[in-house]
Amino acid sequence: MSFEAIVFYSLAALVLLSAVGVVTHRNTVHSSLLLGLSLAGVAGIFASLGADFLFAGQVLIYVSGIAVLIMFVVMLLGRASDLHLRQVNNQWLAALLICCISAVGLWRIASSFRGLPSPGPAKPSTALLGRLMMGDYAVPFELISLVLLAALLGAIFFSHTEKDA
Amino acid sequence: MTLAHYLTLSGLLFLIGIFGALTRRNIIGILMSIELVFNAANINLAAFNHFRHPGGVAGQAVALFFITIAAAEVVVGLALVLAIYRNTDTVYVEEFSLLKG
Amino acid sequence: MVEHAYLIPLLPFLVSLVILFFFDEDAHSPYAPYLGIATMFWCLVQSLVIFHQASSGAVHPWPYEGSWEWFSFAADSAGKGFSAAMPIGILIDGAAAVMLVVVTLVSLLVQVYSLGYMHGDPRFKRYYAYLSFFTASMLGLVVSNNLLVTFACWELVGVSSYLLIGFWFEKPAPAYASKKAFMTTKLGDCGLYVALLLIWAKFGSFKISMLAVSAATPGVLTPLAATAIGLGILCGAAGKSAQWPLFIWLPDAMEGPTPVSALIHAATMVAAGIYLVAKTYFIYAASPVAMEAVAWIGLITALLAATMALVAYDIKRVLAFSTVSQLGFMLCALGCGGYTAGLFHLTTHAFFKALLFLGAGSVIHSVHTNDMRQMGGLSKKMPVTFGTMFVATLAIAGIWPFAGYFSKDMILERVYGHNQVMFGLLTFAALLTAFYMFRMIFLTFVGDDRDHERHHHAHESPWVMLWPLCLLAFLSVVSGAALAHNGFFEHLVNYKLPEGLMTETLAPRLMPYAVTALVCGSIALSWFFYGRNDFTLAESLKARCSPIFSVLENRYGFDAIFLSLVAFSDRIAKFAFWFDSSVIDQFFVDGWGLITRICAELSGLFDNLFVDRTVDGFGGLSMDAGVLLRSLVTHGQVQEYLMYIAVAVSLFTILILSR
Repeated sequence: MSFEAIVFYSLAALVLLSAVGVVTHRNTVHSSLLLGLSLAGVAGIFASLGADFLFAGQVLIYVSGIAVLIMFVVMLLGRASDLHLRQVNNQWLAALLICCISAVGLWRIASSFRGLPSPGPAKPSTALLGRLMMGDYAVPFELISLVLLAALLGAIFFSHTEKDA
Repeated sequence: MTLAHYLTLSGLLFLIGIFGALTRRNIIGILMSIELVFNAANINLAAFNHFRHPGGVAGQAVALFFITIAAAEVVVGLALVLAIYRNTDTVYVEEFSLLKG
Repeated sequence: MVEHAYLIPLLPFLVSLVILFFFDEDAHSPYAPYLGIATMFWCLVQSLVIFHQASSGAVHPWPYEGSWEWFSFAADSAGKGFSAAMPIGILIDGAAAVMLVVVTLVSLLVQVYSLGYMHGDPRFKRYYAYLSFFTASMLGLVVSNNLLVTFACWELVGVSSYLLIGFWFEKPAPAYASKKAFMTTKLGDCGLYVALLLIWAKFGSFKISMLAVSAATPGVLTPLAATAIGLGILCGAAGKSAQWPLFIWLPDAMEGPTPVSALIHAATMVAAGIYLVAKTYFIYAASPVAMEAVAWIGLITALLAATMALVAYDIKRVLAFSTVSQLGFMLCALGCGGYTAGLFHLTTHAFFKALLFLGAGSVIHSVHTNDMRQMGGLSKKMPVTFGTMFVATLAIAGIWPFAGYFSKDMILERVYGHNQVMFGLLTFAALLTAFYMFRMIFLTFVGDDRDHERHHHAHESPWVMLWPLCLLAFLSVVSGAALAHNGFFEHLVNYKLPEGLMTETLAPRLMPYAVTALVCGSIALSWFFYGRNDFTLAESLKARCSPIFSVLENRYGFDAIFLSLVAFSDRIAKFAFWFDSSVIDQFFVDGWGLITRICAELSGLFDNLFVDRTVDGFGGLSMDAGVLLRSLVTHGQVQEYLMYIAVAVSLFTILILSR
């Protein structure tokens, strides 16, 4: 087993195990911590795919941004009684069945790409990505900033209370 | 490592996310599951970019956009969760059924 | 210069629009008249240059024609489709060159004269706009090389005469007169319109030069068609030029401002009819019958109008009847093959008739009445007016060396060559002309003043009105001799009739002297009756022959005939109206409407009972189904919806995998 394979399998195990933890753990705080771990694993996957900027973005935005934010909210809303309540609803068996069926379909699709060999070590892509963002994708780039602004305003609008006003 | 490995990984991550979204009672848990689904999609994008277009970065750019959109979604979603919690004093989705016709 | 002859009608047309739309409606607006006058002066200069070029033979090819394509359309002739082009352009031959000068000159003088005559009128500017428009229409008629454009200008002349005759439309008489003039000329235009349709059917073109060539080609124009077309054109010309029996409008047209009368009578309107006959002379050349009809219409008009003028007391009506009579002379000359003679008389007559009308206007301006019985002895008060009018009267009477002598002599000579009975009657009309014209002069200017009040206030007109009179008087004296000199006019304006049509019988050499002598006798008779300040003879004659007088005063009852004609058509129209409203409207239209309504009601019933119910049923069905399904599946849980989606996706997956 090559070094590459070792890295991939260990990262995949990390990602999948912690993801299963996220969706099954009874304690939401632990769930959110496991989410951070899983996202970090995905960042590693990005690195193994040669997407260096995505790796950085994943770490910065997801692991240290979104996961932490979710943790805050969990702690803000959490109650001690939650630990004694069931965190999974009663359609979990149906969901599991559906997931298994879909997994077969996805497996069929994924296996059709088995023959494709690796193109070799990837080159750094940050510079290219920057040129693309300022060039061909300039308009979507600006639009995305508009979306962020809208999200910002929306968040403020939803979370402010009558008392503050 | 072939593309199939990565697609398998992302597919499993996706299904775990879907399973979570379908089964978690806690609304924050649902949000976290959706983040997993997003990440599965991003892995797909990066993997296809790497294997089908080595040297190109369009897939990575789109993945970047996805990350941004996901961030926005989480922010709005959490704000909504806060608002819902403030109004109903609960975070369990079966306890609010405003959509009932 | 001749290439730009299209400017001559276009400029006054534009100026009339400019005056109408861009000048203030203001009695003291000082610029509108000067704009019109300046434009007309330019047109006169251009016309004179063209006339000079034409007479000196500097224009090649002659006659000059400039033609542009106006529009074209798909036409069909004998089952063969082709693209017919309608040209628009100018055709300058001798007649056109002469007419251009006459029209622009008279119009210019009339406009200058109107500065004094119309001074202080509240619609001063509109008056000048109309004058320019009137002149522009006539000029367009003169230069056009296309009969359709000519017809359009012809109708514009009619419209502008309507506007000008009814210029003082607040008063009932001018309004009535303008309507009468318009409708009467329209009656004649019907004939002209039919003639145009026939021309198109026969030739497939309206281009005059082309028509002339085709008409001269043997076998193209049958005598029957030529007669029909010629009579149609004659009908239009009779309406426009006030010939028998359509002359009834011209005496009433005296209700317009007097300078307008001068313009109508000398240059623009009544000349149009004569000019149109001359312009389409090639049609008449192909039809002796139409030619003869032209001659007889002219002769009858000349005689009737002259007799009517004998008993008129309105100074302007005398002149109006004299115009009608003189136009009859011209038409008679044209009908006798005297193309040159007719146009020559048209030219000279324009000068002295304009002068007479402007002089009459001066008199009316001074004494404020049209009635000659309230005038008399004005020669001392208005010497210039008297002198110039006297010159004009001598000219119209045909005394050597005044202009009328030459033209009338030419006409009589030609008529003598054609038909000697006609010659006799026409000479009689000429004698009557001299008689009533001098009657007018004697009643107006000679003898005692019959109305002391008016005589006391009478005064000579301002110089702005007098110098056009003087210029016209000069032309009345010299134009005949100058144009007739060495056959100049004949050389310029000539139409070669085909061989064999003309019977050239030369008049006796003594004929002009005899006619002049007779005219002098007629003048003496006129003096005997009216010039001696003693009207007993005239009164006794009137008392003894009162039936004849009343017939003449009633204009031979033609007005009554036309009025009864109008009344008759009115009755027909009323019957048609009754038929329309009670039979067609009530029975057919309303009946059809009733049937339609019943059908609509039935259709509406069907719609309500069946179609709508069906639609409602389907709507209700889907609503019930919706209610049923909703109660089955929804509990308002987001995850449940997500579950449905996931189930659907997995079902699709099974579907795809099972293939």
